[in-house]
Amino acid sequence: MAMKKFINGAEDIVHELLEGYALAYPQKVRLAHDYLVARAVPKALGKVGIVTLGGSGHEPGLSGFVGAGMLDVSVPGEIFAAPGAPRCVQALKLADRGAGVLFVVLNHAGDVLAANLTLEMARKQGLNVKEILTHEDISSGPREKPWERRGLVGFLPVYKVAGAAAEEGRSLGEVFAVADRLERNMRTLAVAVKTATHPSTGQAIFTLGDAEMEIGMGQHGEAGTGRMNLKTADETAEIMLSALLANLEVKEGEDLLVILNGAGATTLMELFIVFRRVSQILKTRKIRLARSLVGEFITTQEQAGFQMFIARMDDELLRLWDAPCDTPYLVVR
Amino acid sequence: MVSTIGFREWTAMMMGAIAQVKSAHPFLSELDCACGDGDHGTTMLRAATRLEKCLAQNQSENMQSLLTDIAWALLGLDGGATGPLLGSFFLGVSEAVGLRNALDAQSLAQVFEAGLAALQKQSKAQEGDKTVFDALVPAVKAMRQAADRGLPPLDTLRAGAVAAQEGAARTKDFVARIGRAKYLGEKTLGIQDPGATSVSLLFKGFNEGLEKMVQIDQEGQH
Repeated sequence: MAMKKFINGAEDIVHELLEGYALAYPQKVRLAHDYLVARAVPKALGKVGIVTLGGSGHEPGLSGFVGAGMLDVSVPGEIFAAPGAPRCVQALKLADRGAGVLFVVLNHAGDVLAANLTLEMARKQGLNVKEILTHEDISSGPREKPWERRGLVGFLPVYKVAGAAAEEGRSLGEVFAVADRLERNMRTLAVAVKTATHPSTGQAIFTLGDAEMEIGMGQHGEAGTGRMNLKTADETAEIMLSALLANLEVKEGEDLLVILNGAGATTLMELFIVFRRVSQILKTRKIRLARSLVGEFITTQEQAGFQMFIARMDDELLRLWDAPCDTPYLVVR
Repeated sequence: MVSTIGFREWTAMMMGAIAQVKSAHPFLSELDCACGDGDHGTTMLRAATRLEKCLAQNQSENMQSLLTDIAWALLGLDGGATGPLLGSFFLGVSEAVGLRNALDAQSLAQVFEAGLAALQKQSKAQEGDKTVFDALVPAVKAMRQAADRGLPPLDTLRAGAVAAQEGAARTKDFVARIGRAKYLGEKTLGIQDPGATSVSLLFKGFNEGLEKMVQIDQEGQH
């Protein structure tokens, strides 16, 4: 089937989407240098900057979370492809307000390669940068090889708590420590039921039978391991949540943050039905649903499916999660 | 007969590589559809456009300056793993070239080895993991062997191109063990790796670009 998308030229997608985004939220974000997305009003001097990088085509991820209390600068790449190191170095410079920069990198091959080169170049130029790699997808690597795990929607709470800690005026070491603690205590599992088309090539990024779903599908339609017949919302919630709780070794009485992230074509209706079951299971297991978020934070075009995210929260992480932020796609007052 | 490689020869080699990518990019995307997200051809085409611009702009007659510009054009590609990988390779080559303005076959093999080493610093991938290394490692080895046998630069490059092509073809039998394709596991069997294929196209282009330059030079002399 031919691709049905409202675009102009395939080669103009990224620039046009970023221009449109900045025009839509001029009070919060602006484009700087070579299509970097930066806060409209820079953070106060003396506070730690937060920078991220990642491919485009996943809107509102990742640039949707640039703004007070979260990211200072985001470096968008091409469709599903990491940006190059030179623009990342520019971004780090732009975000440096004299207290160093935390560089949040989602664990995907291209992003990590670009990030490593960026860090080499940045350090040569005397920038004070610390990297945090998010890798919380339990389907893409076993527990003993966490470095093989992909970074999925877990970037969002990492930006949030790191951003809040930075706004409090904490040092780069302290901001990193908070982000790292959350990162170690979070897990994600994804499920897909329908493929997406690559907006530049018009090609389907994977195939899945009409009556099938796949648990463990990645952000770019990388195949997972659990292909099975389509299940109900309740059954799917049970399979996924049990796997996540077991992997994180969640115990009775602990506080969880739960995020359900729609992949692009799964309705909020479905996400709420799934969430209802998640909440019931947690209640039965006497685990506290401390905070929750349901919506679209990182998408893959018209892919259908969702990511289920859980994180073990402590008092400090909860306080930072509750702190105010003002970005185009997450506002806390 | 080309006895050394300098600014002019590199320009011809890069033009050959650009021509290869331009004609083969749909094939690269097709391979990438089977084990990635189908955009490798488009990414390589953008790389080719950036390289063309870089060749047009750099009239320095300085080989290291040209190679550094090539590296930065690739590093700034915004195309996922491709930019950092190819960019690091050329950065390694340009650093090894240093202030020299002519490379004999031995030196040519040496700067390619340096490019490979620079790339290996960025990636943990090994031969057999179904990546660019499966074409690049045998190509660089073959260049070293050819140079050690006393072959001139053009034959050294040709040996590299042949080995790169064979190496890329072998990736059909491999299961991806690194990068985004890793998660597809066994499903990648039977498909030639797009990254390794791109490397083989670049080497084929280096060889053909240089041959074309020699041919034009000879015609000019008659």
